Amino acid sequence: MNCFEHRTSNTQRWASNDRTSMFDVGRWMLNVRIGPVLLLILLLVVTDAQAADPIQLTTDGALKRDPRFVGNGAKLVFCYDEGPNLVRMLQMKMDDRSITPVFEDAGNRHNLEPAWSLDGQWIAYTQCTGNLTARLVIHNRAENTDVFITHPGRGGTRSPTFSPDSKTVVYAFAETGPQQLWSVDTAGKNKKQLTEFSGITNWPTFTPDGKTIVFANSRENNYELYAVAADGSNEQRLTENTIMDIRPRVSPDGKKIAFVSTRDGNYEVYVMNLDGSHVQRITTSEERDDYPAWHSNGRQLVTVSERNGEFDLYLFDVEPTHHASEKLSASLDVVSKP
Amino acid sequence: MIDFGSFKARDCGGSTRRSFLRTAATVPLAMRAGLPTPEVIAAAKSRAKAKSVILLWLWGGPSHIDLVDPKPDASMDYRGPFGTIDTRTTGMKFTELLPRMAARSDKFSVIRSMVNSNNGHPGAGTVGVTGFEESPGPVQPNFGAIVAKHRGQDGSLPPFFYVGRGIPRDLPRRIEGYGGGTLGKAYDPFLVSASDRGEVSIPTLKMMPNMSPGRISDRRQLLTQLDEERYRLDAAKVEEWGHKYQSAYGLLTSAEARAAFDLTQESKETRSSYGRSTFGQGCLLARRLAESGVPYVQVNWSEYVETFTPGGDWGWDTHIYNFELLQDRHGPIFDRAYSALLDDMTERGLMEDTLLIAMGEFGRTPRISNRAAREHWNQCYFSIWAGAGVQPGRVIGQSDPKGERPVSRPITPLMAGTTIAELTGVGAQQRAELKVLDGGSVIDELF
Repeated sequence: MNCFEHRTSNTQRWASNDRTSMFDVGRWMLNVRIGPVLLLILLLVVTDAQAADPIQLTTDGALKRDPRFVGNGAKLVFCYDEGPNLVRMLQMKMDDRSITPVFEDAGNRHNLEPAWSLDGQWIAYTQCTGNLTARLVIHNRAENTDVFITHPGRGGTRSPTFSPDSKTVVYAFAETGPQQLWSVDTAGKNKKQLTEFSGITNWPTFTPDGKTIVFANSRENNYELYAVAADGSNEQRLTENTIMDIRPRVSPDGKKIAFVSTRDGNYEVYVMNLDGSHVQRITTSEERDDYPAWHSNGRQLVTVSERNGEFDLYLFDVEPTHHASEKLSASLDVVSKP
Repeated sequence: MIDFGSFKARDCGGSTRRSFLRTAATVPLAMRAGLPTPEVIAAAKSRAKAKSVILLWLWGGPSHIDLVDPKPDASMDYRGPFGTIDTRTTGMKFTELLPRMAARSDKFSVIRSMVNSNNGHPGAGTVGVTGFEESPGPVQPNFGAIVAKHRGQDGSLPPFFYVGRGIPRDLPRRIEGYGGGTLGKAYDPFLVSASDRGEVSIPTLKMMPNMSPGRISDRRQLLTQLDEERYRLDAAKVEEWGHKYQSAYGLLTSAEARAAFDLTQESKETRSSYGRSTFGQGCLLARRLAESGVPYVQVNWSEYVETFTPGGDWGWDTHIYNFELLQDRHGPIFDRAYSALLDDMTERGLMEDTLLIAMGEFGRTPRISNRAAREHWNQCYFSIWAGAGVQPGRVIGQSDPKGERPVSRPITPLMAGTTIAELTGVGAQQRAELKVLDGGSVIDELF
């Protein structure tokens, strides 16, 4: 699959050149004693420019979705349109960018929305099985066996995710009305509905301690993000917009949430603190940026980003969750002390 | 509205052979009686501005509420999860799935009061592109076939194209109204497709054995090949064979025709503006065909209505995953491709004489289903019109607060087809002579 060659983007090279020239300017400023404050401002600008330059991981341009880092960032799993009628699940080794199917025997079934358990033993994903029907598959990697989670009638499960202890899969499904969160254990037993919300609920994601689930719900006329204790108590609303905030993903350290919003006119990726504060825009393209997922290092996000009409995987750096103004004032404090 | 006395029939019912015969016989009388009047004929002629028509056929039934007719004040079990955004048209909002189109709404008009007499895909599809039910027969001609019959073939390109994977269908069967209908198979559409990379293929050529690009370039070899193939067919298929292969031969042996299919002649910027999707690249191909003088191009969003099934190709039939698929795939793809086509046609000056329409066979249930999706809904849906004299920036028709039914004059596919005919020069007299679009009236609100 040589269409997925790794290629460092031109913008990254340009950024390096920019950094060099800006550094030269900084040395000049020191030499002429303009002052350390201006130099700090300059360095902050340079830092922001560095963060804005993503690494392009694929170049084939086909429509993609659901990237997930697995194995401590050694692999990147994602789904893509292999043809006009088939979504295939692939895995990329990050060291050499080689790509292979996750399942060699997937046939003509759409497989999407993969989730890996933290212990590496299980894969949960949505599989299309027939006309307008999809099921949740929980795959035991060691034994190469599958458990199928189905519900009566037509419909499809959505957005599976594992609890941090790798024992439970939480997913979204609409059985008798509004779409709710459900859970099932990895043996396919103890299936139960977790929530009783109005509106549509989707994209559950756990905090690393397993105590909190972050999700999106549409009860306020559009998708907003919420956090709730794993037992369903203590719900907190995290976003407040007139348009969508979707696909939350809690960071590996449990301190941040990456998500997608159309608040700036199109699909863009943002990061905020777990309590909804300090929203930081990560992508700024006029084209679509979607499906964020954290690298296990917690400092990078992979996205599916549309550039010139082509959909590829990009790796974005995520700045520490501080506003530039805070960094600036902190720096000023340091500078002003004797 | 143009009526032809006894030729007038119910909007979405089948017109009988008898009514057609009676009409044909009474046309001269009707003319003498003043129908149509010279004024009506003059008005029709003044409207006949469309050299070409591009119909973006959103097969499967796109949700009107989740796209161009949102109901933010409806209860939660109706309104859906998408926020609304302003457009450039006063009083019209779209959902957040169509930001590019919202920014261009001054270039097109939206009809929010479409109704279809049928609520199943093949039947509603036939009504949607012919104006009439499949039964009682005979099946009426596709709007494109009517235009093709009226215009004839001028040059090497067939007058009626389908761009897409194949003839629209659901899993059991294809729609009956895909082609020539009562006008004959000679007016069936010529099928071409564009991949998401913009590679154009002509399925007819795949039916010719041992056909390679090298052999195709040799006209004599190609002719021999075609003749050999013809002898292998039984008599009943000769007519169909003749139409298809003559068209294919014309395409292959004409530099002009081949150029129309070559999307690489477009700049990279133009190609990418349409997006990396079969629909997007199909829209670009349609623009090239219209620019080359093809009178009617129907771009099919998909071959199958089923949005999510093995072998399906992502139609708009979102019985499950309606909201997810609209935000993940359909909304962004449609928003980008339609906007790019509109911009491209405007920049090239094609909007003056090209009619651009986007519609499906019906909408989807305003009330959200127990599966958090939407089912078929033929009682209220939308269409989008631009170019060829259509007044842009208008909202035509209104649906009730839940989006269940029109509260203004219902607009039918027959009216859409009649308007297409009128704009392409198939006036009332010609329609009567062709025995098509019986009883149809023009959507005057568009002008």
